[in-house]
Amino acid sequence: MKKFTKETVKNLVKLSRIGCSEEEQEAILQDLEKIVGYVELLEEIDVTDVPPCKHVLDDLFNVLRDDIVGESLPRDVFLANAPSQIGGMIRVPPVIKSK
Amino acid sequence: MHTLSAIEIRDKFLRGEVSAVSIVETFLKRIERYDGEIGSFLSVFNERALAKAKALDDKRKSGVKMGKLAGIPIAIKDNIHVKGEITTCASKFLINYRAIFDSTAVRLIEEEDGIIIGKTNLDEFAMGSSTENSALQKTRNPWNLKCVPGGTSGGSAAAVAARLCPLALGSDTGGSVRLPASFCGVIGFKPTYGRVSRFGLVAHGSSLDQIGPLANSSADTALLMEVIGRHCEKDATSYSGPLENYLEGIDKGIKGMRVGVPWKFLDKLAEEPKQIFTNSIEVLKKLGAEIVNIDLSILKYSLAVYYILSTAEASSNLARFDGIRYGVRSPNAQTLDEVYDQSKENGFGPEVKRRILLGTYVLSAGYKDAYYKKAQQVRTLIIRSYQEAFKKCDLIASPVSPFTAFEIGAMKDPLQMYLEDIYTIGINLAGVPAISVPQGFAKDGKPLGLQLIGPQKQDGRVLMAAQAFEKATHHLLIPELVK
Repeated sequence: MKKFTKETVKNLVKLSRIGCSEEEQEAILQDLEKIVGYVELLEEIDVTDVPPCKHVLDDLFNVLRDDIVGESLPRDVFLANAPSQIGGMIRVPPVIKSK
Repeated sequence: MHTLSAIEIRDKFLRGEVSAVSIVETFLKRIERYDGEIGSFLSVFNERALAKAKALDDKRKSGVKMGKLAGIPIAIKDNIHVKGEITTCASKFLINYRAIFDSTAVRLIEEEDGIIIGKTNLDEFAMGSSTENSALQKTRNPWNLKCVPGGTSGGSAAAVAARLCPLALGSDTGGSVRLPASFCGVIGFKPTYGRVSRFGLVAHGSSLDQIGPLANSSADTALLMEVIGRHCEKDATSYSGPLENYLEGIDKGIKGMRVGVPWKFLDKLAEEPKQIFTNSIEVLKKLGAEIVNIDLSILKYSLAVYYILSTAEASSNLARFDGIRYGVRSPNAQTLDEVYDQSKENGFGPEVKRRILLGTYVLSAGYKDAYYKKAQQVRTLIIRSYQEAFKKCDLIASPVSPFTAFEIGAMKDPLQMYLEDIYTIGINLAGVPAISVPQGFAKDGKPLGLQLIGPQKQDGRVLMAAQAFEKATHHLLIPELVK
């Protein structure tokens, strides 16, 4: 069974950008170990020459349309849910700090 | 009124025997009286529903042709958008998110004169099997208040079971309509993948998610499917099959149909549920079905495949909840990275975090082939197994769940909770339609469901079989608590 280390969990936390306390990471480590241990059941099955499933329906095709500008949401409607906004734009903390 | 089916309520309204306003008032009163204990609704649209009812009364008097759902109050799971109303997904992250567009399913319901009465509780972002993962409130099973309603559409199932509304929408990624239907003793239908538009359904596992009805009769289920089961250009995975009149052929019966039972896959079923399931098979025989043994032993891998694919898809889908464009942004965040980290840390519950991290793991460099690709290959084998099985039979029968509703707080281990879904998950992986129809009660008085599964795009056949089973049995009862 795959051994999870604290570093593995730390890296996952970083990759998914979810803040996570040390205690939470410890609990998650144990859960992940158990769940990944379970899904390793798949190791016993031979899938040589089996194509990976791309879609469950076999008669779907790309949906294309002419490149015509359609109706879109008005800016104020979209911004109504923004946690912070300024001058019709979404406000975020500065990415580059000025001196 | 509350003992009537949705179709009966509509017909009474159309004949002028009852006004839409009084229908809505009846159900609002029931919600007021019972939902304090049950906790199925996250929000109730008193004013909106009454205004719509008033408009429908006027419309009917004016002699205009009425829609298929005229006057029927319908509850919507709170991960499906109703324009202008809050969509929380039962998450603290979306506690203030107001939908800026209608989901296609809701739009179609309103176009057919259905009345949206409120939004129902669920496991946060539809992740769980009991509705205990809701960050907002507990929902209790109307058959036994100590027990869970099942999940993730637990609010919709409990509301329909308690006759707080005659119809509801849920969503089903691995059993989330059928499991709560089984636990609450109502009907729950997961359509063929792509039959109902996912536009406006907050995505969990996009290759698995389907919106489906919960109801107190197969005919009501068929009626709602006639309305929402249509092609939608806003969902690229919506298939463009013709509209179907599911109600028209619903009484044809199942005489001469071959029903496959995967006996080997069911060998671990406990004594009591096995007995009840065996009785159901006898009912199907009496209705003229021929029972055949089929092999679906591949399904022992379905749970492993599901928890790789669904978490992989969820980790990608939920990346959008970053606190930038909507949702609750952490007030303490000073930098952009802190906005992401802290908003998610504060906004997501433990199960959602667990699944995002697991999904990130199975997709991460060095592991993707071993987990994700392998799971997609086994998914191909699962699809093929169903195709093979359907060469020998017209329908498949199985239980919905290995057991009845468990007590709130009893299931502590996440992996044990996942195993709850062992009989429902293969269906989503193969994209086939399946229904949960009540098949009786355990000695402790809790209901459990029979699952009837059809080949892709044979949703009508599944509804027809459910109707035949429902009419031959009498398990759709009203819980004592809410009589």
